[in-house]
Amino acid sequence: MPRVEFHNVSKSYPGGIRAVIDLGLTVEDGELLCVLGPSGCGKSSTLRMLAGLESITSGDLVLDGARINDLPAQARDMAMVFENYALYPHLRVFDNIAMPLVARRVQRGEIQKRVHEVAETLHITDHLMKRPRHLSGGERQRVALGRAIVRTPKMFLMDEPLGHLEAYLRVELRAEIRRLHERLGATTFYITHDQEEAAAVSDRIAVMHQGRIQQIGSLLDLLDRPANRFVAEFIGSLPINLLAATANEGDGSLQVGPMMLPLSPAQATRLRAARSHTGLTFGIRPEDVALADQEHAAALPGRVAVLEPQGDNTVVIADTPVGRVSAVIPSRSVPAQGERIRLHLALDHAHIFAADGSNLLSGVDRKG
Amino acid sequence: MAVVESAERTSSTAVSLRSLAPYLAACLVVGFGLFPLYMMITTSLKTDHEAFAWPPVWVFTPTFHSYLGALFGFGGRRADHYVFNSLLITLASSALAVSLGAMAAYGLARFRFRGNRDIAFYILSTRFAPPVAFIVPIYLMVQRSGLLDNALALVIVYTSMNLSLVTWVLRGFFLDIPIEIEEAALIDGYSRWQIFLRVALPLVRPGLAATAILSVIFSWNEFLFASILAPGYAATIPVYLAGFSASMNIDWAEYMAVGTLAVLPIMIFTLVLQRHLVRGLTFGAVR
Repeated sequence: MPRVEFHNVSKSYPGGIRAVIDLGLTVEDGELLCVLGPSGCGKSSTLRMLAGLESITSGDLVLDGARINDLPAQARDMAMVFENYALYPHLRVFDNIAMPLVARRVQRGEIQKRVHEVAETLHITDHLMKRPRHLSGGERQRVALGRAIVRTPKMFLMDEPLGHLEAYLRVELRAEIRRLHERLGATTFYITHDQEEAAAVSDRIAVMHQGRIQQIGSLLDLLDRPANRFVAEFIGSLPINLLAATANEGDGSLQVGPMMLPLSPAQATRLRAARSHTGLTFGIRPEDVALADQEHAAALPGRVAVLEPQGDNTVVIADTPVGRVSAVIPSRSVPAQGERIRLHLALDHAHIFAADGSNLLSGVDRKG
Repeated sequence: MAVVESAERTSSTAVSLRSLAPYLAACLVVGFGLFPLYMMITTSLKTDHEAFAWPPVWVFTPTFHSYLGALFGFGGRRADHYVFNSLLITLASSALAVSLGAMAAYGLARFRFRGNRDIAFYILSTRFAPPVAFIVPIYLMVQRSGLLDNALALVIVYTSMNLSLVTWVLRGFFLDIPIEIEEAALIDGYSRWQIFLRVALPLVRPGLAATAILSVIFSWNEFLFASILAPGYAATIPVYLAGFSASMNIDWAEYMAVGTLAVLPIMIFTLVLQRHLVRGLTFGAVR
């Protein structure tokens, strides 16, 4: 039952850089957990500590109930796929895939059989006698995947495996990785900075920032209920609109620039309980901003600054008294550049963040 | 019409002349470089009489008389013994220098420890002073350990002199290997020692070839230490050759025969390994 637990794991580098801080995380048996974060967030250090390539400064790393902090990499029985493939340049594809089996003194006939099986699964049988330098990037990464799945390790580690590939290959290979995961059911720790890729391959996504896990959940969870301002900003195909806001204690409404947004009693109670009224941030995704009728009172006036046509929809970026606000508008009803418009910000889809960045309420919470 | 044609013809001659010029220049340079070698080899194949003829005899029937003489002895001096000394000392010291140097270089390139960079620099710094500066202390050390005129002394001295170069050059080669390749091997289940032998060494083969060539050339040609530490029974070819010019009447044909014997092994060795060097330069990157 391969199951990995990080208990208060920290990693500091000489010079005082703290890459990972008090990490608590569990990868369940058979799960593909994706750690998603911008570069420098500590996700690589986490993976390398798990692989045994980096020492653990403090905390416990537990695999199947046993502490493995000091177990050397070659004894951990994990397989890893690297961003730059890390194939053995001097060996042919066949021998590259066979290397983990040779290390385990598997019999030659068995090696032949297993390498050919793997090559068939990954459609690289034609390349077995070539050297890595004669392969394309996508083919190289397939070989690297083959080297990982040729044995049955306790778990798979994937370090941005699609990072160096072209867009169409990324889409093709991430489907392949998901397919392999569903077939093998192996516990997998996957890191990437690409949220689409994370959503496509993973069972759960853990968002990491400045050495800490910010939130764990599905992509929909992260979109609808971001734990904090960072997650709201980092997740989403278009950048979220973030506007300064103040809560009016008296009438239970939210002041965003010239707009007075009425809060429901439940929402007002939530804000009151949090005891923070000033320095709030009102966040709303461009997808949840619509054009308002001219008469609508609780609408934000603005002037169209930029139009970004995207096919069916157009991103309209407007200058408003509270800064630039973007909205996704069906292309057929898009206003002209420079036109005065009014924007309707759907409060029931908005998020309100406290001054420290924590999420005070998400509009979609009203259902729950 | 006719005028145009002749103009075209002259211009095409000019073009072909210009394209030939680099080859002519190359021929001159090569001829200049190879002429002494040519003289040495042809003289070694002449009789004494032909060797001294003026103007030089360009066409003659080659004879291996001088080689037989050089190898199997006039006057008790037999070159085969010294060729063997040179081969033994060169191969032993080069093999030692490259294998020890590779291990030291790998350690310096891959392991983090206190003073790593200082040690690397110290190793390089041993080449800053001219070797002749150490000749007296080294002579005394060899004498005290009773190794004067013993091949082992030269093996040890040459190994220690080559080791610094081998270590420094190979360290650079090891540093050029992307660390991920070795990490992949670690995760695939190989020990450090296995990774060194199966992954790292094959990837620095061009470096091994280059350092081996340099070590062999140095050990084979070295004269100063050889003449002082092993002037007699354990003498190497350069020392033996020098002995010729000291004698009263030089047998030039034989002298040149021994010279050819001294140059030949190095030339063959370098030509064989050169292919490795060129292949190493076009070695594909990992990415």
